[in-house]
Amino acid sequence: MLKFKIPTFFAFLIFFANLAHSAEVNIYSHRQPFLINPFLEAFSNKTGIKTNVVYSTKGLAQRLKAEGKNSPADLILTVDIGRLYIYQDMGLLASISSLKLDKNIPSHLKSIDNTWFGLSKRARIIVTSKERVPVGSIKNIEDLSDPRWKKKICSRPGSHVYNRALLASIIAEHGLDKAEIWAKGLVSNLARRPQGNDRAQVKAIYHGQCDIAIINNYYFGKLKYSEDPDQREWAKSLNLVFPNQAKSERGAHVNISGGGVAKYSKNKVEAILLLEFLTDPTAQKLYGDINFEYPVNPSINASEELKSWGSFKEDKLPIDKIAKLSGEAQKIIDRVGW
Amino acid sequence: MFPVVNNTLLWKILVYFLSVALLSPLISLLLISFGNTHGLWTHLVETVLARYVMNTILLMLGVAALSSVFGIFTAWIIARYRFKFSKVIDLMMLLPAACPAYLVAYAYTDFFEYAGPIQVILRNLMSWSSPSEYFFPEIRSLGGAIFVLSSVLYPYIYLLARTAFRQIPESLLEITSLYNKSSFWKLGLPIARPAIVAGVALVCMEVVSDFGTVEYFSLETLTLGIFNVWIGMNSITAAAQLATFSFIFIIALLILEIKSRYGRRFNDTSRKQRRPEILNLKGTKAFFCCFICLLPVSFGFLIPISILLSNALGGLSWPSILESFVILKNTLLVSFVGSLTVMFIATLCVTVSKITDDKKLQVFSKLSATGYAFPGTILAIGVIITVGYFDKIFLLFDFTNSNSTFYISGSLFVLIFAYLIRFLAVGYGAILSGLEKTSPNLIWASRTLGISFSGTITKITLPLIRPSIIAGGVLVFVDIMKELPMTLLLRPFNFDTLATHTYQFAHDELMSEASLPALMIILAGLVPIIFLNKILRSNYK
Repeated sequence: MLKFKIPTFFAFLIFFANLAHSAEVNIYSHRQPFLINPFLEAFSNKTGIKTNVVYSTKGLAQRLKAEGKNSPADLILTVDIGRLYIYQDMGLLASISSLKLDKNIPSHLKSIDNTWFGLSKRARIIVTSKERVPVGSIKNIEDLSDPRWKKKICSRPGSHVYNRALLASIIAEHGLDKAEIWAKGLVSNLARRPQGNDRAQVKAIYHGQCDIAIINNYYFGKLKYSEDPDQREWAKSLNLVFPNQAKSERGAHVNISGGGVAKYSKNKVEAILLLEFLTDPTAQKLYGDINFEYPVNPSINASEELKSWGSFKEDKLPIDKIAKLSGEAQKIIDRVGW
Repeated sequence: MFPVVNNTLLWKILVYFLSVALLSPLISLLLISFGNTHGLWTHLVETVLARYVMNTILLMLGVAALSSVFGIFTAWIIARYRFKFSKVIDLMMLLPAACPAYLVAYAYTDFFEYAGPIQVILRNLMSWSSPSEYFFPEIRSLGGAIFVLSSVLYPYIYLLARTAFRQIPESLLEITSLYNKSSFWKLGLPIARPAIVAGVALVCMEVVSDFGTVEYFSLETLTLGIFNVWIGMNSITAAAQLATFSFIFIIALLILEIKSRYGRRFNDTSRKQRRPEILNLKGTKAFFCCFICLLPVSFGFLIPISILLSNALGGLSWPSILESFVILKNTLLVSFVGSLTVMFIATLCVTVSKITDDKKLQVFSKLSATGYAFPGTILAIGVIITVGYFDKIFLLFDFTNSNSTFYISGSLFVLIFAYLIRFLAVGYGAILSGLEKTSPNLIWASRTLGISFSGTITKITLPLIRPSIIAGGVLVFVDIMKELPMTLLLRPFNFDTLATHTYQFAHDELMSEASLPALMIILAGLVPIIFLNKILRSNYK
């Protein structure tokens, strides 16, 4: 009785899972659905191509690899260079040629072999308490290891991709030893054990637990326009510092959100269409409007809101260099206990 | 104790085959760990490994101690005394089992951290203005993690201890009172010890595999370390090595659990033993008992659910409610199919290995249930790799070359397979304890009367252990509903469960958006738990 029903049921499950095969793009996303849905809806409305999403923060590269040629995935979307690089490193991405992508994305924001492409930029910035930190007292990311700020800094764990990438950029600039000294100094300035995400750091500044934090720039926008009145208050209590802006300095560290086409994609044409769509003016503007990110497409200006935070110089370090140094960065993080 | 039954070769082969299939994800992980890590292991030993191990051990010991305190005293009170509301409280004791630990961690952090309402009120009252002016325990800490995990995991100990306390024969209780000894310390605790140890072992396994809570609290345990190595250093090999290393803990706990089972093995063939009398309490004593029992319930259920409720009310909108209901349907479906599958396989493995008294098979099927103590995401990777192999094997048989249409990767089947590996231990334990209470005489009799092996199982064994099957099934159902990391990684396209839906918001610390689906997970878990309690209670009558 039961014995016969269960296999039948599984047959159905498998059948339905593999049924749909019209024009569509299957996406493995490291980015939350509620953030990418507006883009995907706009794409579907324009082209009539359906999109399907699996979202997970971890493990999608392993899934793609294990599925091999049978994988249903067409497109990978991630929120940082580290993960994009892992896909490339594992040989999971197809090299694609697209004039449009070449034109829309500057060369330091995509891979040399055309496997992955930056779609938006986010700056890692310093925020300080309006009340307690004088304007101009912090100029560079290096300043955060100054003993003057003892017990004043809040941070999310160093092993988070955003901090790891930041440290990698510091290694690229100053070398391993100096980077480690900086990280050690930063850790000794922390007001509390590293914890929470960027949003939580701002909350801690507002409530006076610390005065300084490093966040991705879009968090400031999200808080400033939050539906929650408390979070809008948090944003009001902050000054923004784009670090390393002096003429002799390298500029603020930027990371990218990006994507690439899966090597064994069965809908490559549609997947490339979606990538191209994401670098087009409509979508590039959307990145700023919805998520307060900077466009990669040089022909598009940052949104008015972003402009009002001030213009800034970005670190032009080739983005894949950061990915390559991420292992070394993690080792430093382990050693200094960030 | 069970008779050796012949003509069971086919059954045994089937169970061997199943056990191997279930073990294969763990074997895949083991194989990965043989890879080269280019000196990463030295780096780990030199820097973080000691910290990871120390934190893991402290967390395990802390949770074992606190959840025992929560579970054992309350179980004694409920098993021995009757007072106003005692029946309701008995039921409430189990409610924290419906709360995923990571959600309770989210709720408590929001509430108790420096920026949370409690400390804000304190600061306003005392006109403090900075953290240096007063001391308040940090919720995101080892102590906080011990508190949160104990508050939701103690029901495992409570359930097993309560059952053991209820089975103490009246005659023994009379003797202790005759000698004027404490019936709890001198009789109850020693008799229930094996059951308690089994419960503690289960709790510890949950602790070892926990990722959500330790990640949120940034507590560097082995499980968190596995992720730092894997994602941060891009080395799945070193991550698999760490996972294999943490397997030592799991094996130790498993041995503990098996030993404790031997300690309480008995065949209760006589019904002559008098059940203990339940004592009536009134007045202050009754109030005191109520209070003691309500403490852990408040920590693991009432307080976190109130926090979530007040958060959810802040961000409530019709679209979000409707969306949650659609997702609820998905969740119930996979939980139902998953628990059905787990119980079917668990029943098969346990009955065959136990009744044929094949020791090797018992060890084998026990091993295949160790997935329970692996961190979900790591186990999920083992599952993916295994399923990838299955697909490649299927392709070999695909003579029509229509290979694009039939494969299991990315289907719901993968998810169900993963649940099977993860939660087999839960079903396994439930059925084993049921089977150990049935007398082998019945099986002897049935076989002597010429009934076949399969006939004996379906006619004698299954009806006898039916309550255990249902009880185990309910536990698995609730476990699947709460499961996050494997579902997140292995699900098909456009497929959300309440847990994954909650996660996308909670990951961004958007508490008001996360609270509604979080509440629904808990509420949907309450129904099966109440049902479970009914079954267990009717067993005593």
